[in-house]
Amino acid sequence: MNGNNAKQKIAVSIDHFRMDFGKKTVIKDLSFDVYKGEVFGFLGSNGSGKTTTIRALLGIYQPTDGKLLIDGKPFSVASGIKLGYLPEERGFYKKETVIDVMIYFGRLKGLTKDEAKTSAEAYLNRVKLIDKANVKIDKLSGGQQQKIQLGITIMDNPELLILDEPTKGFDPVNRRLLMDIIEEHQRAGVTVIFVTHQMEEVERLCDRIVLLKDGVARAYGTVSDVKKKFGDASLDDIFIKIYGDENEQSEEVL
Amino acid sequence: MHNLGTVFRFEVIRTLKKKSFWIMAIVFPIAIGAIYGIVYFSNESSKQAAESTVNQKFSFVVTDKSGLINKNILKHLGAMEVNDKQTAISDVVSGKLDAYFYYPSNFATDKVEIYAKDTGLFDNNRYQGVANAILQGSVIPAVNSQVTAVLKNAVGFNSVLYKNGIQYDGFKGLIAPGIFLAMFYILIAVFGNQMLASTTEEKENRVIEIILTTIKARTLIIGKILSLLVLALIQVVVIMTPIIIVYIFFHNQLSLPNLDLSNIPIDPIRIVIGAILFVLSFLMFTGLLVAIGAAVPTVKEASGFFGIVMLFLFGPLYAASLFVSSPDSGLVRFLSFFPLTAPIPLMLRNAVGNLSIADVFIGITIIGVSAVITLAFAIRIFQYGALEYTNRISLKTIFKKR
Repeated sequence: MNGNNAKQKIAVSIDHFRMDFGKKTVIKDLSFDVYKGEVFGFLGSNGSGKTTTIRALLGIYQPTDGKLLIDGKPFSVASGIKLGYLPEERGFYKKETVIDVMIYFGRLKGLTKDEAKTSAEAYLNRVKLIDKANVKIDKLSGGQQQKIQLGITIMDNPELLILDEPTKGFDPVNRRLLMDIIEEHQRAGVTVIFVTHQMEEVERLCDRIVLLKDGVARAYGTVSDVKKKFGDASLDDIFIKIYGDENEQSEEVL
Repeated sequence: MHNLGTVFRFEVIRTLKKKSFWIMAIVFPIAIGAIYGIVYFSNESSKQAAESTVNQKFSFVVTDKSGLINKNILKHLGAMEVNDKQTAISDVVSGKLDAYFYYPSNFATDKVEIYAKDTGLFDNNRYQGVANAILQGSVIPAVNSQVTAVLKNAVGFNSVLYKNGIQYDGFKGLIAPGIFLAMFYILIAVFGNQMLASTTEEKENRVIEIILTTIKARTLIIGKILSLLVLALIQVVVIMTPIIIVYIFFHNQLSLPNLDLSNIPIDPIRIVIGAILFVLSFLMFTGLLVAIGAAVPTVKEASGFFGIVMLFLFGPLYAASLFVSSPDSGLVRFLSFFPLTAPIPLMLRNAVGNLSIADVFIGITIIGVSAVITLAFAIRIFQYGALEYTNRISLKTIFKKR
């Protein structure tokens, strides 16, 4: 769809992806590429199929049709790609301590026990949760748990970060912290796919975006290209323009 | 599979840190001890109460048509002999007498009749106790003591058995291979629910997506199953240790049977077969329970299926005597080779030594293949049904070509 960056290396390629659940088609025909080292905004209203696309990209769902590739091949845990994935459905071993869970996931990601412990403690220091290291996760607030989840996601310095609504449930202070962390990874050359509804986050962080509606891409390109296409409107206005009728329909139904 | 050790360690350590694991391990022997104690004291109390009721004084008269009753005993007990049965019964009915015993002329064809005042369900036993004591006290002294021993089933037997030219104790012979059967029973009974819950936890905690994008489902499942095997063995040791200690030091005080465990016959082949059957059966049932846990959204819902699995597994115990006496019957062979029922019949028959080489081969093959299929099934369900947070996974979803 966008040929301006033809020389850039492709990190993620989604080509004519279709996804049916029984008789319901969630994604009709979706194609886009994510370039190495960019922050890519994956936008859409609730239920538009963003999470489904991410799950299919990561092999959790089997696509009905199309190709979803990371570094030119379908993702599997054996493919050697250093992935950091923050799913929309947040989850933990809630009866375990923060440090035990972080070390466990660090070990699963290939770190040694010492490396995992050092990395976990450094992160906990940074997000001011080091005093909670030996506290069971279910004793933490929702926001604190979110921070731990993000810490696990970035533990092994991933090459590709996929963040599905990472700021959901964050207060402004923690949202700023998260933005800083994403920017650090961006500067380090990490490819970031960023699923969000927050247009100010998109404006601040994203190089390019795709807007998904009714199972197809309604807009795709750099943030400035998309704005130009919609008459230099703000991303908020563009979002309302594309999805507003959906909300009106919902309100009529209600 | 390089993460297998990490999963295994994590699962073992976090389970060992759970209070519930130790509570279960401690509660089990305590519960067994408590049940045994209740039964023991109940029996002792009943025995003492029965003896005391027999010794209770009550007024009674006797009619002896057999001619066997010793008059001195009646005199000693203060009982009169009467001839008019109807009058004696009337005296009991009117309350003049507590009891009347009528001894018939032929004990082989007729019963001793007892007419007495009701003194409650338990105390009423005293009448029969006294009537019987009078009869035995009258007859036994007149008979040779050896005949008495035979008639009272009091003759002891001492069998010396030989197998392959060596003295062999059949009961002791089943102890070593039978340990695997006992271990399997305890493990599934005590640990079954934990097996069931081992994968529902990932679903209930919503941790599944991170897991599936970090390690292979196969690694997670196998790591969990191996950890369950080790945890189960730890639990058996924790459960059995106090039981063994209590037996060694207190078996006389508790009137437990005196087992001489020295010189237990060791049949290496049967022990190896028992161990193989135990491990494969454990893997098969763990795989099955893990699959159920992965297929349903909550532990509570999974528990409903647990009872069905237990029915198949432990149902054959009701036919245990058949496995010993008729190993070649159709029912025994069916239960021995039907995968869900096979573990207990095969381990029991191996323990008693009536499992032929062909049956060993067929049984191990069936349980081994079933274990592999069940584990593969569990991994597939976990991998493709794990995101079904609220619904049971359908068979169509599981077998959908990928």
